[in-house]
Amino acid sequence: MALLAVLPAGCGRDPNRPVVIASVSDVSSLDPHLLDVNHPTGSVIWSLFDSLVRRDADGVDLPRLATSWERRDDLTWRFHLRRGVKFQDGSSFTAEDVKFSVDRMGMSPFNTLTQLWPQTTLKEARVIDEYTVDLVTEKPSVTLLYWLEEAFIVPKAYYSTHDTAYVNTHPLGSGPYRLVEWIPGDHVTLMANPDYFNGAPALKDVLFNVVPDVSTRLNALATGDIDLALELTADSANRANTPHSHAIESVGLRKIHFGISQKGNQLALRDARVRQAMNYAIDVHTMIKTLMHGSTTALASVVNAPNADPTLPPYSYQPERARQLLAAAGYAQGFDLDINFSPMWGQDKDVSETVAGYLNAVGIRTHLHQDEWSDFRRKLSDQGFDGIFFAGWAALISPPVELVIFTCGQEDNASGYCDPQYDDLVQRAAAEYDDGKRRELINAAQRVVWDRAFWIFLWHGPVYAGISSRIDYELRPDDYVEIYLAKPKR
Amino acid sequence: MMISFVIGKLFRAATVLLGVSFLTFIIGHSSGDPVLLMVRGDATPQQKEDLRHSLGLDRPVLEQYATYVERAVHGDLGISYRQRVPVSRLISLRLPYSLELAGAAFSAALILGFALGVIAALNRGRLIDHLITALSISSQVVPAFWLGLVLVLLFAVYWQVLPVFGSGGLQYLLLPAITLALPTLGRIARLARGGMLDVLGSDYIRTARAKGLSERSVLLHHAAKNALLPLMTQAGLELGDMVGSAFLVETVFAWPGIGRMVVNAVLQRDFLVVQGCVLVIAAGFVLINLTVDLLYARVDPRVRAR
Repeated sequence: MALLAVLPAGCGRDPNRPVVIASVSDVSSLDPHLLDVNHPTGSVIWSLFDSLVRRDADGVDLPRLATSWERRDDLTWRFHLRRGVKFQDGSSFTAEDVKFSVDRMGMSPFNTLTQLWPQTTLKEARVIDEYTVDLVTEKPSVTLLYWLEEAFIVPKAYYSTHDTAYVNTHPLGSGPYRLVEWIPGDHVTLMANPDYFNGAPALKDVLFNVVPDVSTRLNALATGDIDLALELTADSANRANTPHSHAIESVGLRKIHFGISQKGNQLALRDARVRQAMNYAIDVHTMIKTLMHGSTTALASVVNAPNADPTLPPYSYQPERARQLLAAAGYAQGFDLDINFSPMWGQDKDVSETVAGYLNAVGIRTHLHQDEWSDFRRKLSDQGFDGIFFAGWAALISPPVELVIFTCGQEDNASGYCDPQYDDLVQRAAAEYDDGKRRELINAAQRVVWDRAFWIFLWHGPVYAGISSRIDYELRPDDYVEIYLAKPKR
Repeated sequence: MMISFVIGKLFRAATVLLGVSFLTFIIGHSSGDPVLLMVRGDATPQQKEDLRHSLGLDRPVLEQYATYVERAVHGDLGISYRQRVPVSRLISLRLPYSLELAGAAFSAALILGFALGVIAALNRGRLIDHLITALSISSQVVPAFWLGLVLVLLFAVYWQVLPVFGSGGLQYLLLPAITLALPTLGRIARLARGGMLDVLGSDYIRTARAKGLSERSVLLHHAAKNALLPLMTQAGLELGDMVGSAFLVETVFAWPGIGRMVVNAVLQRDFLVVQGCVLVIAAGFVLINLTVDLLYARVDPRVRAR
């Protein structure tokens, strides 16, 4: 004990230490065109680089490196670029950098590893003058601005003279922070860019730290060693309320559901009445109250607010009706159903077991099946499931992107639905620039998903974090951490 | 004699490494497709095939293995599929942390474990013997993640004398090292106690005492040295284990060691990282065994003569 007493205590008591953000995993790459997950990779990339357009937490498009834009025809968009922006090596940002970056995203391996390129439907970038650029798409695209928010601009001179392995660890952007160091598996250190076009961010030194264990993140928050403990769970979030910190939560945008395989050998699932029955058999409200501690709301649509059709209610708990629907479909005696889950979206096991209980109660014989994530992921992309599978979908606000999950042959369509009428609605919505007409198409598609019960609808995946009393920051529901918007307290 | 002994051992070490790397390679490649975990969203089958090709994953496994070995001999362990950083750099960043943690835990376990074992043996049947035996058994049944969290709660959260997690100084090292050391300490203490009791009952100790040597000299020069012998093999294995299997401790303390890296790499099917780590850990085991063999030969002449 005497020995311990003379040791210096942890760094938590140093008021000048960097702001520390603790997350489960490490960034996967610092190449902005290889962005694969919103956090932590996305959060760090958003700090180092700028895109033409910024997406705010409500999904609204705001100016960033572009100050304004207009659509010239169905396929051509003109962007007016911000003047006087400098990259972190002092070189000036111009239209040439935009063209170079767009061309780079369209090359292998960038166009294969991320879905950015195909989703933008971009064909080419044309430099009009130093501060004006036209982007041309293959087909009309209402989601262009959405995807451009993740299309980061790199300086042509630097990225064309260094190889991809080098720039992967030595990024150079125009963003609010610059890289100090990246120690894979441990931390990324950033420091404020004093020359940022929008003014240097309020927090000077920022550390993204890998702290895999949730109890460790909470303990470190309690002692004041970290400032933002991310990826907490429903049952642990409460522990973030300490004298130095408090819990913050957001309803979140990821739609938690059970996918219903149409390809597997459980043929009952191809009958819409059976799928409706499963939705009526489950008491989602009670599950939210108990398993999720009341921190979220029931899911009614595959599309997030504000675009969700308000006339669609969540399925209600009506076990008697579920039995009737099963009987009408010829399954009065029930059927065998596999319930697949994997530790990815939190509380997978608890949720799956509870759902199994509800389905058993209406006569469905359930079999729980747990997969390691990489096997689960393979089954998702191969449409390789039998039965139903616990999943989360699309933490974003962009109806045409959210609706693609049920379109024929689409990679994310893990259930294997294939309905030409639904596909037609989604494709027309993605190409319809008229707001009113697009809204109608989107509502019609949502209605199909609800009526025919393409999912077992659960809830919006809540986002939990703990924040220290040193900083002020408002959590985004899509997991990105825009640390340059955080402010020191007092 | 000694030279041919060493050459023979080195030759066997190389064979072991080749065998280990081959097995890891085959098992890794039959366990899943890294390309599926890398691509996102709309990648077409053609794009996946292109990527597989650019990574060399479309070639026959044996051919891939031959290329791998050829490069590995020159120190090139490939580039991580996921983080696109050379595997040798990833390992060189993380290995020092593993060695620091394992080194501290191992020395503590060995010294304390041996001392406790000897004390127990000398006080056989008394209260202190029972206490030490109880400690050594309980240290092996308490899971590391639980013990680590309890230590953190006490020392870091309640008393706030040590940091919750991190690396970079003695104060960061203490809790993870204690957590990692305890099970080993327990095993060493039990072995040392047993070994010491065997030795104490043997003829030459009686002879030594009969010669009129001081009890101190009997215990230190005759008994302890011989009781150490059977411990050496076990200790070597324990040290190797500490580098490779510290995953739980590294997770609880966010310690950036190699154990966490290899487990994550397995989950992500990042074969080259798995392969590189396993190779380094296996090389560590081989090196330790070699050292133990040489030490044996030095301490016990019978081994050399064989």
